[in-house]
Amino acid sequence: MMLAIRDLEYCYPGADAPALRQVSFSAARGEVLGLLGPNGAGKTTLIAQLAGMLSVQQGQIEIDGQPLAQLRKQRPNFIAIAPQEYAFYPTLSVAENLDCFAGVGGLRGAAKKVRIDECIAVAQLQNYRKVQAQHLSGGLKRRLNLSIAMLHQPELILFDEPTVGVDPQSRAFLLDAVKQLARDGTAVIYTSHYMEEVQAIADRIVVLDQGRVLCQGTLQDLLSGNASVLIEVEDDASQAQLVQVLCGFGQATAQGRGAVLALDGPAQLPQVLESVAAAGLQLRHARFGQTDLEQLFMSLTHRSLRD
Amino acid sequence: MQQLTLFIALAKKEMRALSRDLQGLAALFLMPMVFIIVMSMALKDVYAPRAQSQRHAVINLDHSPKSERLLDAWRKEHGEPVAPGSTEDWKEALRAGQLKYVVQVDAGFAQALDDGPDGETAKVHFFAEPGLDQSLFESTRASLMMQVAQLRTESMLSQLKVDGDLSQATQMLFSDTLLKAERVGTHARPSSVQQSVPGWLVFGMFFVVAAVAGLFVEERSCGALARLRSLGAAPSMLLAAKVLPYMLVNCVQAALMLSVGVWLMPLLGGDGLSLQGIHWSALVIVLLSISAAAVSLALTIACLVRSHAQAATLGPILNVVMAALGGIMVPLFVMPEVMQQIAAWSPMNWALEALLDVLLRGADVIAVLPRVGRLGAFSALMLAAAYGLFRR
Repeated sequence: MMLAIRDLEYCYPGADAPALRQVSFSAARGEVLGLLGPNGAGKTTLIAQLAGMLSVQQGQIEIDGQPLAQLRKQRPNFIAIAPQEYAFYPTLSVAENLDCFAGVGGLRGAAKKVRIDECIAVAQLQNYRKVQAQHLSGGLKRRLNLSIAMLHQPELILFDEPTVGVDPQSRAFLLDAVKQLARDGTAVIYTSHYMEEVQAIADRIVVLDQGRVLCQGTLQDLLSGNASVLIEVEDDASQAQLVQVLCGFGQATAQGRGAVLALDGPAQLPQVLESVAAAGLQLRHARFGQTDLEQLFMSLTHRSLRD
Repeated sequence: MQQLTLFIALAKKEMRALSRDLQGLAALFLMPMVFIIVMSMALKDVYAPRAQSQRHAVINLDHSPKSERLLDAWRKEHGEPVAPGSTEDWKEALRAGQLKYVVQVDAGFAQALDDGPDGETAKVHFFAEPGLDQSLFESTRASLMMQVAQLRTESMLSQLKVDGDLSQATQMLFSDTLLKAERVGTHARPSSVQQSVPGWLVFGMFFVVAAVAGLFVEERSCGALARLRSLGAAPSMLLAAKVLPYMLVNCVQAALMLSVGVWLMPLLGGDGLSLQGIHWSALVIVLLSISAAAVSLALTIACLVRSHAQAATLGPILNVVMAALGGIMVPLFVMPEVMQQIAAWSPMNWALEALLDVLLRGADVIAVLPRVGRLGAFSALMLAAAYGLFRR
């Protein structure tokens, strides 16, 4: 594994609770690792530590067996970040922004020009070279953010909520670009609270909540063995009674006009339906299926990812 | 080489960002230029009072040859008077400021010249409007008194039976051959421009505070600064890359403001700034030390403020207060003792005095070193503070 994080803890000065607690996971080259969690889960703190903006208080971050701080001194361009904010200069044009960050990273002369052209081409910003960044649309700004992150051909790119506030077309473009980066051998850490995005592009997923890793693995690992049944009854007023009945079989939560019950498999399903009927509730609709990330997260935290 | 590439990239970015900040550019270049023009024109008469242009009236109630001679001489020196009208008319005109002053020669003036003052009533009166500037009041009064004294002296010599042309002999007594007043320094004649240019140049140079702080807050809030840090740019490099561009801006400001004084002001009908006889090496050293002080203060403020609103208010407020305390808005000599002592601690005052030393007092490099040293120490202190705040 290229990146190895072990028992990472971080507490902001004056904060009551730590932002990260015993966080451990790893990432490999050519892999997209999805970091999933609601606001305040600790994703941005973790990204800031990886990007060198926050120092490591406790635990280890190693790249190919070398401590991160040491590596950053030797190769500052090894890791790049596409932060949540538009991390560029609004009054500078697209080309001027790229020129600035290319120079700061040590590129110069013809090599700088070539690389800027390549990044502009990848982000499809050719028609906006001379446009001031502040006049770009939200989607184009995100593309500029991406192209700046790619400038120095980093081996690890950190994307922190890169699709916030962009149109579906730009989102699709950005997700394709992220997948392409991984195909080219770059390790990608992609944080988001949009589970459908993470589900679509991540090879492995780490679910964070309140600074802790709740679970991690491939999407298949996380969802296998986790199924649920959604039951709706005719009388909306009976929802509370329905939840009460379902709680006899496991963890159940109200959802829409019915309730969702997490099940280990389909074997329990007939018994569940019988109990609903026995309770005098008139079944309107029942759907059994595999859990998605949202349901998995809810079952782990009793909260929505968008909370 | 890597560090040089980084430095050039950052400095270039700073210049580009500043060139798009129209408000910042206006504050840095237009504002001090306008101040120089407006204040030089407004204060022109303070340094070269034009008594002739003052609208005035004379009233001769004596009708003697001596009173006629007095008022003729007054006309020659102070221009043609207007008709006073009735007593009520000219008093009302004075109260309303339509007349600046009235000179009245009472009956018995010639007699009083021959006999000497009777000690009871003055025979010549000088009435001024309430808003007449104190220095103009005093200088006009002194001029009138001298002309009366000249006539009185002539009369006394006549009574002593002194032979010859008494009028010529008396004039000699009051000419520059007996008393000549002049200012010591360069060849430059003190003028409002000579005083305004250094003051407003210092003010303008220190205005980089607002521009630096504004751009710094912007790059911090948009995440660009964090990105630069993640690319390995050290805090010292990030600060250093801001120093040079803004010192260049200060140099352009200095060249522009001096040009306005030398070439533009005469075209606008004002006095021109004279740079004759100044020590250019001293001027360069003084300007560089002022620039270093201004930019280092700007960096400290930039690292201190947390929002655009703070940057937009704290910088200009600090600048105006420092200018007021430093003798730029209000000349030091009119301040009370306590305020003068406070001003002695203001970097803007050190900067202003250093420039006045060079431009008015003909100071050379050695002579400006004490003030340059103070400005240098201030810059070092501010840079250290900025570095500490930035790392925090």
